[in-house]
Amino acid sequence: MADRRRINGPPGGTRPPVYASLQESTTGAAQRAQRQRQPAELRKIFLQTGMIPTASGSSYLEFEPSASLAAARANPKSLIPPSSALKVACTVHGPKPLPRSAAFSPNLVLTTHVKYAPFAARKRRGHIRDASERDLGVHLETALRGAIIAERWPKSGLEITLTIIEAEDDRWWGDAPDSHDASWGLMNVLAGCITAASAAIADAHIDCLDLVSGGVAALVSDESNSASSIPRLMLDVDPAEHRSILSACVVAYMPARDEITEIWLKGDSSRAALEKGDDRSSHEALIDGAVDAARGANTVLSEAVRESITRSIAQA
Amino acid sequence: MSNQRQASSASQVPHLSPAELSYLYTSLSLPKNPIRPDGRSPTQFRPLSAETTILPGTNGSARIGFADGTQAIVGVKAEVEKTVLAADTLDSRSLAQHGDALNREGEEGSAAVSGQGEWVQMSIEIPGYRDDDALPIFLGEMMRESLVGSVENKEEMAGGLKARLVINKRWHWRLYIDVLLLSQPLSYPLPLLSLTTHLALLSTKLPKLKSTGEEDPFFDDDWAAAEYLYPRSKPSSGPFHPVRPPVTILVVSVGENIIFDPNREEISVADAVLAISITRSHDSDALKLLSIRSIDPPSRLTQSGIPNSENVNMIGSTPAENPSQEEVSGVWRPRRGGVKRSVVARMIKTVLGKGGVGEEVLEGLEGVEVH
Amino acid sequence: MASLPQIAIPGQRLGSLSSYSAGPGTHVQESFIYASIAGPVIADPAQPKIQPKPTLRVSRVISPKDLQPQNASTSDAAKPKPRYNTLPAIESNVLARVTRVQKRQAIVSILVVLDESEHLTSSQTASDNDNIASILTSAANPENHSGTDDLRFQALIRKEDVRAVEKDRVVMDEMFRVGDIVRGSVISLGDQSSYYITTARNDLGVVMARSEAGNMMFPISWKEMRDPVTGAGEPRKVARPF
Repeated sequence: MADRRRINGPPGGTRPPVYASLQESTTGAAQRAQRQRQPAELRKIFLQTGMIPTASGSSYLEFEPSASLAAARANPKSLIPPSSALKVACTVHGPKPLPRSAAFSPNLVLTTHVKYAPFAARKRRGHIRDASERDLGVHLETALRGAIIAERWPKSGLEITLTIIEAEDDRWWGDAPDSHDASWGLMNVLAGCITAASAAIADAHIDCLDLVSGGVAALVSDESNSASSIPRLMLDVDPAEHRSILSACVVAYMPARDEITEIWLKGDSSRAALEKGDDRSSHEALIDGAVDAARGANTVLSEAVRESITRSIAQA
Repeated sequence: MSNQRQASSASQVPHLSPAELSYLYTSLSLPKNPIRPDGRSPTQFRPLSAETTILPGTNGSARIGFADGTQAIVGVKAEVEKTVLAADTLDSRSLAQHGDALNREGEEGSAAVSGQGEWVQMSIEIPGYRDDDALPIFLGEMMRESLVGSVENKEEMAGGLKARLVINKRWHWRLYIDVLLLSQPLSYPLPLLSLTTHLALLSTKLPKLKSTGEEDPFFDDDWAAAEYLYPRSKPSSGPFHPVRPPVTILVVSVGENIIFDPNREEISVADAVLAISITRSHDSDALKLLSIRSIDPPSRLTQSGIPNSENVNMIGSTPAENPSQEEVSGVWRPRRGGVKRSVVARMIKTVLGKGGVGEEVLEGLEGVEVH
Repeated sequence: MASLPQIAIPGQRLGSLSSYSAGPGTHVQESFIYASIAGPVIADPAQPKIQPKPTLRVSRVISPKDLQPQNASTSDAAKPKPRYNTLPAIESNVLARVTRVQKRQAIVSILVVLDESEHLTSSQTASDNDNIASILTSAANPENHSGTDDLRFQALIRKEDVRAVEKDRVVMDEMFRVGDIVRGSVISLGDQSSYYITTARNDLGVVMARSEAGNMMFPISWKEMRDPVTGAGEPRKVARPF
């Protein structure tokens, strides 16, 4: 769908020039970032609610930049950042009456809009939501609707809008797409969106069963010859730090009930190296890993919600 | 109405009364042997009729009709296109020309083999839905991602469908998969669309390439010489494991039971709905999991029933209980919350296990004669 | 009885159903009460006959008063039905502005859902809609009548719900005018678009109105209001002022 209402920049976008000499140069600008964290170690998350006063609920979430990105920012060697870190803003509007044309609903009607800012990714995005953004919206809606107690809000609608200010890369910028290439960054974005939206809904005082948080786990292979290497399970992967991701899984998880409201697994998870004595199949290990990551995000989420309620009590 | 439709990714909101929903839920959640409205067993699929290569103007096509009258047609068209690397990738090959070309020889080879996911385009047309509604987009992305998903390397089909589309370094095939549902969906259309797409891809032929190497491609005019997109030549030795397009299976859980191929009434009381994409593994008899997606169960949008203790017309006739919010048996409540991990694991196991539903479906599809 | 946390976040377990009953802002799962919104936890003491167990609720409204344990507001009569949110529910009192008057009904848009647990005089501090006074003055101002109606819940006052007596003699034009502020009670969630409201009680009806000349009027009887400047009277279904 072409955007005819605005004058857009060139669709391909522009990127800073890369000189061939950089490839072999000693500066290391064209070196793939390496994961500095342990396989089960998550990135730190910044999360705060109530940032947007005109909305009934809002939140802002940011992932900790990876070590290489932080180093590149402090001491830039190239114009191209080695990786990116997720930044999401979420607003919740409502509950408000449904539009006149809508049919009667005994429950809260949820609408989710996920939109990448045009500058969020390395490639410029248009102003109209594309298929992957709508797809993310559906995933997010599934994740949230399982947590909301919708029958307490008859005849009303809730609009949840997420703006991705900085997205995650699908792969390292220097890599040509290979056979395992897919939009892996999308899965990290979804996990961040779930956590951010959950905080904003709690901020808007909409009844929920639990705070639902998102987590990602992936099977990655770092050897150049992907056929021989055995993929390993890692939590909260930054796709830019790995040679190839074979399979990844996002879940939306409610720890108080030990329930999953949304699961999205893709890729070939048939070969994975699990520890000895671990007789789970690899896709189960992948789901469990994503749940562990979601548990980690949940500690941040519940602290942020608690902090915001304490803050508003102190103001009252 | 359009707002309501977008409200759930799982088709329409059911028009069943709370009493009907409660009855359905109870009979489907009976321990061990659920009673389905149409008398099927939990793993039984609806009967269907299928034919392939029905559209002469396409590279491959198929039609499947369910007994309830819903039909889907899929046409696959292929076009030759010049390969352009996406603007956001650093083209290591062009760099290599400046730098040490020898050093990069190996990488060059691997980059040439791998295709791009964008080369497969999928569009789904469902009557009554706009093409930017949530349902068609969600279905399209779901089927496309398992199709272009990563596949283990093997000589026949190294790198999966994407790699099969590579002609040489400068040219590739672009595949358009157009799915047409001929009537308003009476149930969640995913199984129908996925099976039809599977058959259409299986019957897809690409003209035989006559040029070699890095020449501009030209093809054999003889359609009889065309090659199948999914090759089916028997290897000279070893067991025959044909490469197959993926199939997406719809599974629901109701209470403790796991039910396959739900119709509209059954899906409207489901606790959890999963779409599981599988294919045959190349090197063993086992099935391979390609993707799982949860689908928003429409049961979350239903109207709840009112227990007698809270019904104003019944006050006095039943002892007034504590008006707590606990479930009252026999009274429908919209499903809340998610699904336990153990249930997800059981659903996957029923699909993937030996002699499981996945094998049955693939065998059934292999029974369809593909011309 | 385990001690209660002072503030709760959604999904936090508050207590067992055997020692408490669940109030607004909570939900029950497997005979335990969990918080469903974030806020201060309040245990309303048990009331003999009506409510044998203390009711746990998570307050939606953050007022300093709520943080002192066992506050005075619990001396009010028990609510007929627990309210879970700030939406209009059956039997909740609302303030609404008349947007259209037709032969058989008046269409109003709901401005505020009044908090029943508080007396009307103190509702300004307790309601979620933080400043009723400012909402009403801006709403009663004829220049402010456009735009925001789409964001408010619509409601109907049917001709037969206007007053309790002489229902067949009701002429809608003599009951309400566009722009009046009406206190009403919700009788039904209604259809897809509107709630149904009644004013058939002495304390319900028009609370603020402007005359034809544009001046604020004061009530002089149950069916008339008067303009203090011109002295002209206009018919209305007037709410008892006190």
